[in-house]
Order: sequence, then C-alpha cells, then structure tokens
Amino acid sequence: MPVRGGWLVAISLALVIVGSACSSAPAESNRVAVSTGACGGRWQPSTPGWRTFEVYNGSTAGAEVELINPASGAIYALIEGMGPATTRPMRIDLGSGSYAFRCLIEDTDAITGPVTRIPGHRRGASAIVPVTIADLLGPAREYHAYVTAGLRVLTRQTGTLVRDIQRGDLAAARAAWLPAHLTYERLGAAYGTFGDFDNKIDGRPDGLAGGVASPHFTGFYRLEYGLWHGQSAAELRGPAGRLARAVRGLRAAFPQMEIALLDLGLRTHEILENALQFQLTGHDDYGSGTTLATTAANITGTRELLRILHPLLITRYRNLPAVDSSLDLLRRLVDAERTPGGRWVPVRNLGTITRERIDAAAGQALQVLAPIAVIFEPRRTQ
Amino acid sequence: MTDGPDARRPRDLPRGPDALGEAEMRRPPDELDSGGVAGQAHRPARRSFLRGAIGAGVAGIAAGGAGGVAAGYAYRSSPPAPAADAAALAAAQGRLPPVAFQGSHQAGILRPPAPQTAVVSFDVVAQGRAELTDLLRTITSRARFLTRGGTPPPVGISAPPSDSGILGPTIVPDGLTITAAVGASLFDGRYGLGPQRPAGLTAMLPFPNDALDEAQCQGDLVLQISGGHADVVLHALRDITRHTRGGMQVRWRIDGFLSPGRPAGTTPRNLLGFMDGIANPGVTVAAQMNRLVWVQPGQAGQPAWTAGGSYLVVRLIRMFTEFWDRVAITEQENMIGRRRDTGAPLDGNNEFDIPDYAADPTGDVIPLAAHMRLANPRTQQTASSRILRRAHNYDRGIDEVGDLDMGLIFTCYQQDIKRQFEAVQKRLIGEPLVDYISPFGGGYFFALPGVTDNTDFLGKGMLA
Repeated sequence: MPVRGGWLVAISLALVIVGSACSSAPAESNRVAVSTGACGGRWQPSTPGWRTFEVYNGSTAGAEVELINPASGAIYALIEGMGPATTRPMRIDLGSGSYAFRCLIEDTDAITGPVTRIPGHRRGASAIVPVTIADLLGPAREYHAYVTAGLRVLTRQTGTLVRDIQRGDLAAARAAWLPAHLTYERLGAAYGTFGDFDNKIDGRPDGLAGGVASPHFTGFYRLEYGLWHGQSAAELRGPAGRLARAVRGLRAAFPQMEIALLDLGLRTHEILENALQFQLTGHDDYGSGTTLATTAANITGTRELLRILHPLLITRYRNLPAVDSSLDLLRRLVDAERTPGGRWVPVRNLGTITRERIDAAAGQALQVLAPIAVIFEPRRTQ
Repeated sequence: MTDGPDARRPRDLPRGPDALGEAEMRRPPDELDSGGVAGQAHRPARRSFLRGAIGAGVAGIAAGGAGGVAAGYAYRSSPPAPAADAAALAAAQGRLPPVAFQGSHQAGILRPPAPQTAVVSFDVVAQGRAELTDLLRTITSRARFLTRGGTPPPVGISAPPSDSGILGPTIVPDGLTITAAVGASLFDGRYGLGPQRPAGLTAMLPFPNDALDEAQCQGDLVLQISGGHADVVLHALRDITRHTRGGMQVRWRIDGFLSPGRPAGTTPRNLLGFMDGIANPGVTVAAQMNRLVWVQPGQAGQPAWTAGGSYLVVRLIRMFTEFWDRVAITEQENMIGRRRDTGAPLDGNNEFDIPDYAADPTGDVIPLAAHMRLANPRTQQTASSRILRRAHNYDRGIDEVGDLDMGLIFTCYQQDIKRQFEAVQKRLIGEPLVDYISPFGGGYFFALPGVTDNTDFLGKGMLA
C-alpha cells in the first residue's frame, strides 16, 4: 500500500481504467474513465474470461487500485503503489459474479466504483478477503504471550549453562547448551522484534573480522564453538556472562516490545527459509552437530505461528492441509535422524538419499508456506 | 612458408567406396539442414501459439488462459508467414522458434544440440506410485507450457508471483526442449516398477580410464533442458523445480553450451579445439534412426511401453586443457585422427571427407589408436554400434590446483547401450587421448517415449 505521505494532496484524481479482452473478438467498448472523486466506472462487456485492464492513475498522489467483490470486500486483483500519471496493467481471469474497482488514494478515503455483474456460472480467479491490521492485533498479543513464556524458560536454561561454565564443568555445559539453544530457536517469529538482542544471543561469526576468533562473536554459537573445540572454561567465562546478560536484558525489555504485524505472516516461511539456508546446509554447525535439532525447533516455532494464525488462515488459504502434511513429513524425517541415545546426526554425516529427502521435504514445506506471507500482508481497506 | 588449408596437397591414397554407403556418410550433419526435423521446429510461431492455446484449454491447467493471451499477442504482432520467414524473424529477434512438445518421440533427441543446455539429474523422493504419477504429470504439464510459451497467470493477493520473471512478462520458448529420461534406480522396487525396467538399463558401467564420483553419477530421473539462451534454460529449470518440490531433489547438475561453428558453417568445436560429432548418423533417415536410436515396437526383451524411447548415456568428461595446450599439434591431430583447423580426416582435405581406413591398414596416415578411428571404424561389423552423439561443452570454474575445470557433456542416444555405447567405449579403452581427459560422472538412462496427446504424460506407459 502506498506509504508516501507528508505532502498535501490535491484531490484531483482521475483514474482511467481501460479493459481489453484477450480474445480475437472485435474490440468492444469497455473503457472506463474515472474523474475526480470516482474510481472506475461501468465497464463493458460483461463477459467472463481473461482480461487486461490498463489502469491509469490520473491523480497527483500515489494510489492503490483493487478489483473487488463488492459484497464481501474480497480482492481479486491489486495494483499497489501506483505513482501519479502512471499506467499499469491488471490481468485477471474474470468469472461470473460481481466486480467493482476500489481506489485508495493517499490521504483520502477509499472510493468504490460502480458494480458490474458478469452473468453465468463460469469460475474465474478467486478473491481473498484482505487481512487488516485489526485482524492481526489478537494474534500478535497471543504470540507475545508465547514468547514471554519462552523467555522465562530460556532464562532458566541459560542460567544453568552459564553456571556450568563458571564452575568449570564443561561436560555439563555441553549437555546444557542444546536445550537452551533450542528454546531460543523455537521463538523464531520474534527475531525482528528482538533487535540487537538477537545478534547478541544467536549471532554468527560471518561478517566479523577474524570470524570465530572475533571478540564480537558472542551468544550460543560462540559457546558452541568453544565447547566443541576444546576451549577452556576460562576462555568461555566472558562469552557466557555476555550471553546471560543478553538473555536477561531481552526478558526485561520484551514486555515493552511490539511484535511487528507484518512479521507474523512473513515468519511463517522465513523461519524455515533460515533453517534451510543455515541449519540443513550445516552452515550453523559450530561443533555440536545439532543443526537437525535446530531445524526441529524451527518447525515447532513455525507451527506455533500457524496455530495462532489458523482462524484467519482457514478461510483464506485452500492449501492449508498441504502445509500441515509437509511439516509433518519434514518433522518425521528430521526426528528419524536422532539416535536412540538422543544424539543428533550431523547433516554432513547424512547419506545422500536421507539428505535429499529432508531437503526436498523442507523445500516442499517452504513452497506451500510462502503464500501465507502474501495473504497476511496487512492491507488498507478504507 | 605458410601452408594454409587450401594449400594442402591432395592426398594420394586410393579411396574405395565406403562400406556403409557413400551417399549416406557423405551427407553433412543433418543439424545443418533446413528440412526434416529442423523443418518441424521451424513452424511459424503464430501457429504454435494457437495450437498451444487450444491444447491448454483442453488440459485445463492454470496456464490455459495464459496461452490464450499469447495467441492474442501473436495475432497482433505476427502476420501469417511461411516457415522460413518465421525462422528468419525468430533469428532476427534473437530467439529460436518454438519446438512442438508432443510427438511419438521426445522432441529434444534428434534435434541438433541447442546453444545452451542444462543436464540435471534428480532423485525421486515421491512417496508411492500415485505421487510418482503426479510428479511425471506435473513435469509434463510444465514442459508443455514452457516449450509453447505464454503469459504466466497472475495470482492476485493469494501467493508470490507464479513465475520467476527472468524472461519478462511473456515467456518465449526460444527453441526450448525438455527431454526426460529415467535411471535404473527408479525400477528398484520403491514404485513397483521392477518388471517395467527397460532391458539393458543398468547403472553406468565404470571403464578403466574413468574416475567416477558417485555424487555426480546416475539418478532416478534426468532432465536435459536446452534452448537458445541460458536464461531460457534456467527459467525452465526454476519453473520445473518449484512445481516439483517434495517430489524430486536435484542430485547433480551441469550446464553446457554449444560453440558456434568456427569458421561459420562448420561443425562446432569442443574445448580441445577439435570439431566434435562430424560423423553423426543422419537423423532425417527414418530407417537409420529406427535401426540405431529408437526402441522398436516388439523389440525382443523390451517391455512394450519402451517403444519410441531411446537409451541415453551421459558422460561428464573433464578435459585437462592446460596439459592439452602443451602438446604438439601433430600429436594432437594423431590422437584425434583429424586436422584441428579444417576438421578433415588426416587422409582427406575437407571436413566431410570420408576416412579410408581400408587404404591405411597399418595406420600410417590415421593412427590405428586415433580416437575417430577407434570410435567408428566404419566397417560392416561396427555399423550397428554407431551412436547419435549430442555433446555440449561445459565450463565451471577451477580445480584444486587452479586449472580450469572444463570439458564435455557427452550425451548419446542409442537403441541398445551394450551393442552401441559400450562397444564403442570398449574400443576406446587405453586410447592415447585418455591422458588428457577424465570421465567423472554421468549415467545410463532411458529417454521416455514421446507425449502424443493432451491426456498423455511422460512415463504414462511405464506406469500403466
């Protein structure tokens, strides 16, 4: 949606919408001109099929133009961020039903044009009722509570890890490292919210001069690197203390932090995008060989998010069952690489076929998760 | 003293009629012809678009409307034109005409190698036969759309864009072909396909001079995606993989290119600097293709579904080009059996001269161990072992010592791997050339029969 603003908008808008039928039939008169205070108009002919509208923003402000079902407000097609005096095509497979253009000019009320009915029983493109900011407030609160609970557990588990290091029991520290790290990894949707805390708690050495030896390399991965590369307790006390402080700081700050509403939808695939890029490749294995465990934690985080969004999603996303089944499959394949003793197989030790199956399941899950971020982009509706 | 190609002395060796039939062997490679298979490809773009639109309507796939739009564009932009004009127009626009996807054989097999290619081997991870069927149906419908072109359907606010966009808003086919072949491992019992395995389809036999890397060998299914430009090939690869995630996973992949003829009109060269594939059998001679390339209906020992398919051998061959470039030209030419500059056999003057081995029984002119002579001795006994070569060059970075990692994606089609590729390869064991090349990957595959109508799909017969 247009976010340009701050300057006075002259309300002289003229949105011109010209539809062209995409068949060899002779061109029919379906030109629609919009003048001041109006959006679209009655466009003809009212026959179903593929059509390309040439939408012209004749106003002096940015605009968003939607083709909607006027009864439900569901959106068939959308052009966002149209600059003044620009023309953009809108392609749509028109089925039988009611249509209207809705124009949202910056700093003005939304204008809905006249309704056009296309008769018959032909199925066209489907429309989706947009998700509004108001829709997302409840889920954001719920997610905030989930993270708050997770941070309580994280504080306790990190405390255990840090105490083990402080008293020099590195074997115990190695055992305590994984549960604490996984608790953090389950909070996936909140990274953006955590700001700099995330880098202090779970940062990578990438981009740091000196890499793993950099004094700026801190957090769980720093401790993992030390604990699994023979570093002494003395070497690790500093980083351990910094991790403890970062976790305490985050817990203290979080009540005042707001979950970005846009993140809710985005993270439904981004958590696992990260898992594919950094965990399933083994990139984030700094010695413990537990990136499959991290992947499992990321699946849990993704599922929690989906659970919270479910009421909004169930009416908007037909492929939701495929999301569930693909996450189930991925989880099953990952869990199968845990030995009876509870140890995880490092991804580099996976056989070709096993690895291919896991990567394929992750790819499939991501493919069906991706539309959710688009569906959940909060949209202006009035 | 200069001794250019034209100044070379005419050879003085006697030459008899070729055992294989002079006329046939003298033909220049059919890839340079405008008739036959090439003619099929040079159909006017407009007609192909229209046919595509109708086909899509029947299939009812999402791209259906898109095909319709393409037809609309075609109507406006291209007046009716004879085939040659359409081909010229396509060339002027910098792209190749579309290649019809459907036919009794897959379209990418007899065609001349395209300027760009990707050979991508997948392991199938679909669970059960129904999912495998879905996978092959999906590959088919994507290939049908991509080879025809059109406008990808918009998705509104329901999903990310349906297309990667790297070809712009309207997909141009640019001579795209997508050839699918299955490996022996697909018949291992996971899908109950054991009895359907094409006779003679096994894992690739390692030869003494090979250094095979298991990770770059075999696979359940290989796709060769070829077209006029790299973006078209990559677009198709991205489209197919995004539609088949969860069904198959890339096992290995290599991209290749075909050099233009240098000088123009000559057979393209490989990265050793030699023309490659001069003596291919003529693809316009149907009877010859039926003898050498296609599995025939009722062929002994073959499951019925294999008729119209062909065995595909892929060999990824590293060329040690730094080493090669340090070798004297006469030694290079003796190893190959041809002149590097003209492509002429060492006993001839021109590229398409037929080497006369009978007149040179002791290899005084063309050494007995020359690659060309071993590969195709041109005797009655070896005529049935001829293969249809379809090679591309590859170039992909450097090796551990900083030498250039480049070489050949050797692909060949044949009716019988043992009778043809393996017979040829056995003759080549220990040839002098092996010091300069190293086969490291590839596999044996069976290129599926063609898709004949809108309800058909790749591998339908295999799954029936």
